[in-house]
Amino acid sequence: MTRWGMVIDVRRCVGCQTCTIACMQEHGLPAGTAWRFVADIEIGEYPNVRRLFLPMQCMHCAEPPCVPVCPTGASRQRDDGIVFVHYDACVGCGYCAMACPYHARHLVHAADGYFESPTLSEQATARPERHGVMTKCTFCKERVDDGRSRGLTPGVDPEATPMCSVACIADAIVFGDFDDQSSRVSQMIADGKAQLLMPECGTQPSVYYLTD
Amino acid sequence: MATMPQPAPVELIPAEPQRLWGTPAVANFFLGGLGAGLYIAAALAARFGPAPSVRIASWLGPALVLVGFAAVATESGRPMRGARVLWRIRTSWMSRELWLGGAFVLLAAADLVFPLALHRVQASVAAALLALAQGFIVRRSRGVTAWDVPVMPVVFLASALVSGAGLYFMIELSLGRLPEAVVLPAVVGLLAAGLVVWLRYLAWSGEPAFLEAVRALRDARAARLIIGGGYLAPIALVVLARVVPAAAGPALYLAGALMLAGQLYAKTLVILKAGMLRPITLGALRLDRRLP
Repeated sequence: MTRWGMVIDVRRCVGCQTCTIACMQEHGLPAGTAWRFVADIEIGEYPNVRRLFLPMQCMHCAEPPCVPVCPTGASRQRDDGIVFVHYDACVGCGYCAMACPYHARHLVHAADGYFESPTLSEQATARPERHGVMTKCTFCKERVDDGRSRGLTPGVDPEATPMCSVACIADAIVFGDFDDQSSRVSQMIADGKAQLLMPECGTQPSVYYLTD
Repeated sequence: MATMPQPAPVELIPAEPQRLWGTPAVANFFLGGLGAGLYIAAALAARFGPAPSVRIASWLGPALVLVGFAAVATESGRPMRGARVLWRIRTSWMSRELWLGGAFVLLAAADLVFPLALHRVQASVAAALLALAQGFIVRRSRGVTAWDVPVMPVVFLASALVSGAGLYFMIELSLGRLPEAVVLPAVVGLLAAGLVVWLRYLAWSGEPAFLEAVRALRDARAARLIIGGGYLAPIALVVLARVVPAAAGPALYLAGALMLAGQLYAKTLVILKAGMLRPITLGALRLDRRLP
């Protein structure tokens, strides 16, 4: 079996938002929609203060609360753990966004452009099937699937790896198969120090964070 | 310099208001509950004596439910795909809501055309399940701290019954009738139970995120309008109607209007104000890194 996931090393993240932009470019996201972002966080009070960059995205939970609540079956989970939205089946009711504890879903009512009229680039990357429906990080499943079909290894070969991971300038975002004990992600969490966001929600996220 | 580690979990991204469900969702939750509650109240009252309002409830209740469905459909991104919402009855309370709403409409229509006790019981059960289903929709919203509480379906059922009983009062009085005497203590009991459920909901959790989310429900204005105006004042007015028969008409009409308004305000606040997305937290984060 395969279970795709990520380990994000927060200690390495410099908050440059390259992953954010790479994701928007890869998926042709309209203005105002970002499937991932890096939160710039100040924690504590002087003198015990720390600045933290926290890359946020869909956690591709093993027990995704967004999937069972979906009334149309548009929110789905693949056998390899990737959670995605089947755009043609989605009514855009927003229920999955209410069920997600990680603020990871985005309803695109209309593709806003950056200017008064769509640029050539925006016209070329327009995805009208995503209007009025829920959208979210897909772990770049098209890249992963296409890469695998060509014999590449996601997480090792850049052509088969999610764009955020490929684009990260600090090697802070690592993608791979948690069911493969020899994969880099498995080794990064092997010592048990990696953390999950809000494990108390019981969603079993597939994105781990390495902190101090 | 030595520093103390921060106690876990650390809030990294604060709660923020949900922006997808607005007034149309409130309309669906309120009108659905109102329609269901009206039918149940009228059907129960009809067991204790003549209640012409049950005929009205047989079409008005379903009509309110359908208006609620239509309202919420305008909020979806692709309303023309609305029929697909029926597909996931096995897992989604939104699908179940639609099925139960449809069953309620059909059974209430059957009661209207063929007024049999069996139809009335079946329609009442469907109405109660519809109100519960709406509560479960909200309860399964794991991303919203103030909604993801086990008591939420009971809150919605109680709200439906209170608002429905209020509308039942107003219809009976508009028809020139006073509700049966036995109905009044039952409504007082219902209001008292509804108040207990509401207070239990407000105190459901001591978790800071929950308390922050329900702050608007616990402030003085909400207490005045929901607890005072929506529960205590109607209780007083119903008691007044029982003690002073001459004042019964106006007192019960006002009580009904207050019960309606109180539940509308409560549901509006629950959806629009308490609908705060869960804050993002991380456990065991140390703050003493890089400090000298």
